[in-house]
Amino acid sequence: MPVTPDLSVDLAPGHKRGLLLRNPVMPASGTFSWGFEFEHHFGPEGIRRLGAVVSKGVTMEPRAGNRQPRVAETPAGMLNSIGLQNVGIEACVRDLAPQWARWETPVIVNVAGDTIDEFGEMARMLDGVPGVAALELNISCPNVDTGGMEIGQSVEASARATSAAVRNTDLPVIVKLTPNVTDPVALARACEAEGAAAICAINTVLGMAIDVDRRRPVLPRARGGLSGPAIKPIALRIVYDVAGAVRIPVIGCGGIATSRDALEFLMAGASAVQVGTATFANPRALLDVVEGLEAWCAAEGVARIADIIGCARPAPVA
Amino acid sequence: MQIEDAVILETRPAWEGAYITWFHAPSLSRGVEPGQFVMVHCSRERTDPMFARAFSYYRAEGERFALCYAVVGRGTRWLSEQPPGTPVRAYGPLGRGFRLPAAPSNLLLIGGGVGIAPLVETAWQAVAAGHHVVAMMGARSAAHLLPASEWPREVEYVVVTEDGSAGPRGFVTAHLGSYQAWANRIYACGPNAMFQSLADTLRGNGRRQSPEILMEENMPCGWGMCYGCAIFTRHGVRLCCKDGPRFNLFDVF
Ligand SMILES: Cc1cc2nc3c(=O)[nH]c(=O)nc-3n(C[C@H](O)[C@H](O)[C@H](O)COP(=O)(O)OP(=O)(O)OC[C@H]3O[C@@H](n4cnc5c(N)ncnc54)[C@H](O)[C@@H]3O)c2cc1C
Ligand SMILES: Cc1cc2nc3c(=O)[nH]c(=O)nc-3n(C[C@H](O)[C@H](O)[C@H](O)COP(=O)(O)O)c2cc1C
Ligand code: FES
Repeated sequence: MPVTPDLSVDLAPGHKRGLLLRNPVMPASGTFSWGFEFEHHFGPEGIRRLGAVVSKGVTMEPRAGNRQPRVAETPAGMLNSIGLQNVGIEACVRDLAPQWARWETPVIVNVAGDTIDEFGEMARMLDGVPGVAALELNISCPNVDTGGMEIGQSVEASARATSAAVRNTDLPVIVKLTPNVTDPVALARACEAEGAAAICAINTVLGMAIDVDRRRPVLPRARGGLSGPAIKPIALRIVYDVAGAVRIPVIGCGGIATSRDALEFLMAGASAVQVGTATFANPRALLDVVEGLEAWCAAEGVARIADIIGCARPAPVA
Repeated sequence: MQIEDAVILETRPAWEGAYITWFHAPSLSRGVEPGQFVMVHCSRERTDPMFARAFSYYRAEGERFALCYAVVGRGTRWLSEQPPGTPVRAYGPLGRGFRLPAAPSNLLLIGGGVGIAPLVETAWQAVAAGHHVVAMMGARSAAHLLPASEWPREVEYVVVTEDGSAGPRGFVTAHLGSYQAWANRIYACGPNAMFQSLADTLRGNGRRQSPEILMEENMPCGWGMCYGCAIFTRHGVRLCCKDGPRFNLFDVF
């Protein structure tokens, strides 16, 4: 008699509010807008199939984003320089959160401060707002002039941003790391020490493309964030390293397009995964990953997906 | 949005460097508004290129739809070379299309180059709804014109070429002539330079109509997820795929 596998995972086990997901699959910030397009096309039942929803990056003030071109397709990936186009935190709390509150699926709000104080201020504004289940600190956006990756590239600034957020909210705080550093493990440890509930790794990898005919960079800001299958091995290595160094859960992100990709991250030690760029190429990518994990667990006789988290890691030395 | 493996039925040349491909795909062919588009994967494995390409519906009829496209890069080249029977992953229909008036009216359709594609489906639906249609196509030369046989019989088809090899010489927007005064509504699709010149012309003539236009931007996703296709309008930034591709000419140009 086959049993339905238990896909649930807890992303904030030590936290007073917790963050229990029905399955470990969620969109990556900035690749799912605010969730309403997905609801429009796949219905409320589509949203219910996801472990969580992660919003686009929200900033203190509304932003129009960068000028065109904003994206460049590259081998097995893309460069983006969207520039955090978003409605701003006030409209997020006022207009978006009440709509999220309709959903059973928890919504994680990705916040992008320009300064450490802004991370604290936005955490305070989101605290206790119905419809918001957790925060994800975007200290890793490469496409803006201030804040973003500058904070995320300094261990000290990352720790201070984490602490500013944690002190101002009862919600679990996830910190999203940039891969554009020598030692992501040091960043993860510092954020854990300041009370982060979980670590998300990774944001986009800094990259570039040049239009040979125009003899100019394709993107007006020259650099952009590389995402998609091209970065999966980098993301997997960082997740593997970070998961071995912290006790809090790690969310794997970067190039995940199929359930087998997701399984690689879970086996490397991630407790959950985010699917980003894959959704652009395949609108069903998130649903395919969920269904693929269910089918794999059933076929392999895995009763609880939590049992395979970190199974590819070396056994701890006694 | 429907997702289906559309099966190629036939591909034939539309003009020099452009093709018309018919697909069998029931779920992608139903309820299409003129001006809506479909995202078509232009590689078998969908890895290189990874993203689907956006194409306006050129025709949608029963269980079949057609695209009319210029070969400009590797995706469109690949598509033009696939034999009948090839399954091609596609999703749509997407975006907001043209709004045709409720009462029978005089409609002027203006297409620049491959921008003519969505205007053909528009003409078929408009004629069926009892509208009078004049379709103007601007092209580089006589070798780059859509054949007149592609339009419904009721449509008056006017061509303008940059080199004068067919119809009057110059840009189509310089030859609106009496059609502008005749038209109750104008619908246009083409390069941005054509839209700018149309806006300038109509402003000069007292802006009697406010045309609906179909715009293009790079579209990685086509359904409002990536924010790659932003268009800056007088009312703020909009997503071409979700808020468009139909815009009011004077909101952008
Ligand atoms: C809503 C919409 C409807 C469209 N309808 C049609 C149509 O009916 N017929 C048609 O021929 N084309 C149409 N296009 C343009 C079509 O999407 C591009 O020509 C196609 O993506 C090129 O793909 P490729 O792989 O051949 O070229 P690539 O190798 O990707 O690029 C070749 C060249 O085309 C440019 N390009 C790439 N993508 C686009 C794009 N989306 N828009 C404009 N330029 C682009 C590149 O900058 C490059 O210069 C439409 C675009 C949009 C957004
Ligand atoms: C178009 C685009 C927009 C993004 N916007 C954000 C954002 O607002 N906040 C954020 O933390 N990450 C953002 N990211 C990064 C993704 O969340 C993710 O970390 C990265 O793309 C790697 O995953 P992927 O390869 O599955 O896309 C964005 C990525 C893309 C492609
Ligand atoms: S193409 Fe992705 S938002 Fe428009």
